[in-house]
Amino acid sequence: MLRRLIPSTWLFALIAIGMSQAPLLAHDMWIEPTTFSPRVGEIVGVKLRVGQDMLGDPLPRDSSLIKQFLFEDAEGSKPVIGRDGNDPAGFLRVAEPGLLVIGYRSNASAVELPPEKFNQYLKDEGLDGIAALRAARNQSGSPAHEAFARCAKSLVLAGPPTDKQGDRWLGFTLELLAEKNPYTIPSGGELPVRLTYENRPLAGALVVAMNRGNPLEKVALRTDKDGRVRFRLASSGMWLIKAVHMIPVPPGGNAEWASFWASITFDLPKM
Amino acid sequence: MLATLSRITHERRSIYLALLVAFMACSTAGSAHEIGTTRVSVLFQGRQSYDIEIVTDASALIDKLRAVSGQSSSTTPTPVNMQSVLQNFDDKFRQRINVVFDGAEAHPGIAYSVTPGNGSTSASVATIRLTGQIPPGAQNFTWTYAWTFASYGMTVRKAASENPSTQWLEGGQRSAPFPLAALAPVVGRLTVARRYFSLGFTHIVPLGLDHMLFVLGIFLLSGRVRSVLLQVSAFTVAHSITLGLTMYGLVTVSPRIVEPLIAISIAYIAIENIFLSELKSWRVALVFAFGLMHGMGFAGALKELGLPRSEFVTALLTFNIGVEAGQLAVIGAGFLLVGWHCANRPWYRSRVVVPASMMIACTAVYWTVVRLGL
Repeated sequence: MLRRLIPSTWLFALIAIGMSQAPLLAHDMWIEPTTFSPRVGEIVGVKLRVGQDMLGDPLPRDSSLIKQFLFEDAEGSKPVIGRDGNDPAGFLRVAEPGLLVIGYRSNASAVELPPEKFNQYLKDEGLDGIAALRAARNQSGSPAHEAFARCAKSLVLAGPPTDKQGDRWLGFTLELLAEKNPYTIPSGGELPVRLTYENRPLAGALVVAMNRGNPLEKVALRTDKDGRVRFRLASSGMWLIKAVHMIPVPPGGNAEWASFWASITFDLPKM
Repeated sequence: MLATLSRITHERRSIYLALLVAFMACSTAGSAHEIGTTRVSVLFQGRQSYDIEIVTDASALIDKLRAVSGQSSSTTPTPVNMQSVLQNFDDKFRQRINVVFDGAEAHPGIAYSVTPGNGSTSASVATIRLTGQIPPGAQNFTWTYAWTFASYGMTVRKAASENPSTQWLEGGQRSAPFPLAALAPVVGRLTVARRYFSLGFTHIVPLGLDHMLFVLGIFLLSGRVRSVLLQVSAFTVAHSITLGLTMYGLVTVSPRIVEPLIAISIAYIAIENIFLSELKSWRVALVFAFGLMHGMGFAGALKELGLPRSEFVTALLTFNIGVEAGQLAVIGAGFLLVGWHCANRPWYRSRVVVPASMMIACTAVYWTVVRLGL
């Protein structure tokens, strides 16, 4: 089924990245709870997944990587608890009805990428500014040393949806914020999403949305001057919206580039 | 069942944590990787064969196999069906693994199995075993596995008893070449037979004091050769049965149960010697039953020693023959020391059998208490 996802103001693009035989080191990372619609009192497993096209491998809990692993409900912020080495990486208990915002923010991981792979990755993730900077520095043919960090969120709904419920800003370096409760959006309705970098709207960044029903059919939009994009949610099922931002790192560190990977997941029930 | 699954989960976590700790130890600050749940163990049997085990999340693998086959991934197969689903994708699975000797790709035999997860949140685990022969004269081995997006650890062992070397790889990344020249030549059948006969013998004399006391208890009942032969035969047949069944995984009883029962069996035989002076048919039946327990004890020891996969039957048989030889040595020593000269003397029971059996019984009761953790 063709998904009708209408771009808001900027570029419309479909990206289909097949699984490649060669290692692709620029993988998405997202949160996949054991349920997106728990009952009050239910224990929810918070699974971390790394992959592409919503095909994810489990990431067991690794305390050396965790900067923040928490969830927010009406009562406030609470830790997502768990034991190292376990998948799901953490668990939370739903204390009351409402929208829960789960957040996972990682420490940086360092990778070295050969030039062709890094250039392709910059192209795939819409990081044109960095590609131009590398070209200006005459580095396009050189391997890249990158430190990447994850900023993943997930929205889980216990009980009936209301307009008062909403996503919350968790203060992640790069963060996607759903400006409406996606669980209240009727089929085909638009979800405004805002991208912030260090607490300020990030303009001109590529934000990609995909649905589990057909993850190869992606919609990629550039954020406007307020860091905003609007995705039309025509399909039920699990959605993953993601964005990558990269900055040059001053000389002297382990890496030349620092990237931040924001994602947000939710699961719309079948109408 | 639940306890077994819980144990498997615990072992899986322990292995993961061990790998994680090893990884952290050799990685520099600030360069942590996202390590997934996949792990790969490569075992070379001398210069002859290889055995590669991939352990990975079954659902994640099936989703990827379906995606590259253009199939919908909306329904997840039940753990029971996962094994046959994986087998059906064999052709696809092979496309993203590479077993390479000296630049030439090998075509391993592949067996798939799936262990269901424990409870609603724990994932089913696929264990995929790749086996084949090392091409004669091969100098190096490389490996690629492109069915995971996360980092994974690959351990390589040159023999079952060797400590593994570990490489950390990304999905799709080719491993560094592993030199095969260092592999030990395949150990011959005769060497295995000699080694396991010796291990079986020494498991009785001098290491297995409990088994020695049990055999002495059998010997002390009566000075008649027929009595000893009947009991030893019953004991031998019984422990051979359970040793074999346990080693093939058909019977599993915890050492926490077996070890105290072995101690109780020794105490019983010794106490019965005090009140009984000739062989009764129930005594033979009891010795047979006790032999079943001792066999499980032998199996526990043999498992700790490890068996070479290529010579499993040889090792099992020769270990058992070694155990028999150890028993005969104990009985032979008993005959030489007391039986030969004194068995027909009127004071043999009162001065030899009863005091010796009492000592054996006391020792065995003490072991029972210790082994029960009382």
